[in-house]
Amino acid sequence: MSCEYVQSEVVTIRVGRGAKIGLGIAIAIVAVGVLFVFYTLDPGEQPIFPRCPFLLLTGYECPGCGSQRAIHSLLHFDFKAAFRSNALMVPAIPYILVGIYLQYFGGSRRHPKVEKILYGRWSALTVLVLVFAFWIGRNLF
Amino acid sequence: MNRYFYIDAEGKQKGTFTPMELREEGVRRDTLVWTQGMEQWQRAEKVDELGFLFSGTYNPPQPEPPRSTWSQPDQTYAFGQEPHVQPTKPRTWLLESILVTLVPFFLCGSFLSLLGIIGIIYAAQVESFYNRGDYQASAESSRSAGRWTRIALWIAIAWVALMIIIFVTIALLFGFSLYEVNDLIDI
Repeated sequence: MSCEYVQSEVVTIRVGRGAKIGLGIAIAIVAVGVLFVFYTLDPGEQPIFPRCPFLLLTGYECPGCGSQRAIHSLLHFDFKAAFRSNALMVPAIPYILVGIYLQYFGGSRRHPKVEKILYGRWSALTVLVLVFAFWIGRNLF
Repeated sequence: MNRYFYIDAEGKQKGTFTPMELREEGVRRDTLVWTQGMEQWQRAEKVDELGFLFSGTYNPPQPEPPRSTWSQPDQTYAFGQEPHVQPTKPRTWLLESILVTLVPFFLCGSFLSLLGIIGIIYAAQVESFYNRGDYQASAESSRSAGRWTRIALWIAIAWVALMIIIFVTIALLFGFSLYEVNDLIDI
């Protein structure tokens, strides 16, 4: 434990409980706002969504291209369209949400086994392999 | 004057301390220390700035109760006796580095994911080295993993803020329904 504490001590600013709650509320407001925009506007049609720098530079899709369209489809419960937009990032969403729960909502303490399985050494390497396989695969086929 | 980390008898990383504070911490000749600019952990006696701690005139004090609230008294063994305690595993940063690799993909920040991938590779080494008994390399990998993950995290936060600012600015200037913006950007 003290190891963790020491490392975060050096770089990050120590925040009090009140500041933490305030930060949480701010992040929640931004997240709801972003979700609302993704729900009402279709990134496939609207020009104001950010573009992928990798796609612009190389003409190839990055592993994340289409994930914003996928979020839009998911918010409208159109799972088929979501998978067509980006088949990797759709399963990544629940995975990321579990990770955020483990990291920031005390999940690691309550479910250390879940963390070990989902975010252990081998899962990390699996994630890497999947991302690269998807990256190459989507540009080939 | 540099501020140092050191590895205590239980293998825990502690810091930072000035050389004077290191003396009060009961650092010995063979204690591993590290400060900014050093390639790797070194025995305290090898560090020039700490040489005065071990000069003949100076006798190491009895371990005092620590003044700071977060360091635990660990020096329960006699001076000079080698501790045979297995160090605790350093923080692996696996979870953080995976998150910081995946999340930017949703925000057109694929270049950020490369930083996260470097983090993952170091993070995966932490446990490997630890299981092999190479605690120093493990601590070293942990430090690198943490560094890359934090760099990626801060750039990601700045990137998200930038995206939101650009989005809101364009939305305010042109409104949401102006499709001719497409022609302006022309992509």
